[in-house]
Amino acid sequence: MATQMYIVAFKGTFSQEVSRNVQHCVRQHGGLILMVVRTGVIVALDDSQAPMVEKHPDVALVGGVTLNPRGYAAERLQRIFAENLSKQLEIKTE
Amino acid sequence: MPNVGAELASVPFGKMIYDMASAIARSQIALDKASIELVKVLANTTFDYVPDVVEVLTPNPRQIQPKGKPPMVDKDGNPVMVTGVQVDTDVAKPFPLTLLQAGVNPTFYAFTNSTIEVKMSITSTQESSNSLDVGVQVTASADFLFASGSVTSHVNFTASNKYSYSVTGSSSMSTTLAPVPPPKNMMPRFFLVNAMDPAKITISQS
Repeated sequence: MATQMYIVAFKGTFSQEVSRNVQHCVRQHGGLILMVVRTGVIVALDDSQAPMVEKHPDVALVGGVTLNPRGYAAERLQRIFAENLSKQLEIKTE
Repeated sequence: MPNVGAELASVPFGKMIYDMASAIARSQIALDKASIELVKVLANTTFDYVPDVVEVLTPNPRQIQPKGKPPMVDKDGNPVMVTGVQVDTDVAKPFPLTLLQAGVNPTFYAFTNSTIEVKMSITSTQESSNSLDVGVQVTASADFLFASGSVTSHVNFTASNKYSYSVTGSSSMSTTLAPVPPPKNMMPRFFLVNAMDPAKITISQS
């Protein structure tokens, strides 16, 4: 059981509804949305859940990705990911 | 008698290794194909990238004026000033950048370690039992004129042999899949041409 970064590519052309449905599916399987782009969503997802998300009718493929620190906008992407993560994580205090 | 060597020799190690290697090779091809598909997706996904935002701070001194009151002056009647600041923002024109350029790379996987384990248990039992029962019965009788006698004997021999032989075997195969850096031949090269100095071209690869 390990969480990895995946890109979930949409089938066909982009639409808000498809994007929303896929994001909902990812969240249902315990994933977190890192970034939404026109062709898909970049998510943090448990390895065991990736095949389930791939079965969604609007999903073309689910593939593991990594962030190359030498990339042109790697730092910016990291910040975007962190910002989007913070909106989805619930920190419980006792 | 069981021949352990013959039993071990009958285990199809060669076929098992071949089948496993063949399955690994097929899986590796499928994984590589999926990763190449991913390269295409990442290379075709663009987003508007704003390279920089410039914020220019300029002094903006102003006289303090509390809400609903006249501007403040000191005891000599001079206005009380504060060093204000004005922030001017200059947002650079966004340009399309692919996810691949931005730094999102596909993950490539490779099978690093494979193990085939065969366990075999050979059990052989042999049980022999023999029983021999010998009996002799002698009877004799005599009277005035006659005498008679008889001898009877019996031999019972029982022999039994029990022989059992069992071979049980189990095998397990395991392999480790690990993420590896993208193979150079599968990743595009980036040529950075500086328009101010076109002779200087920087080539990079993920």
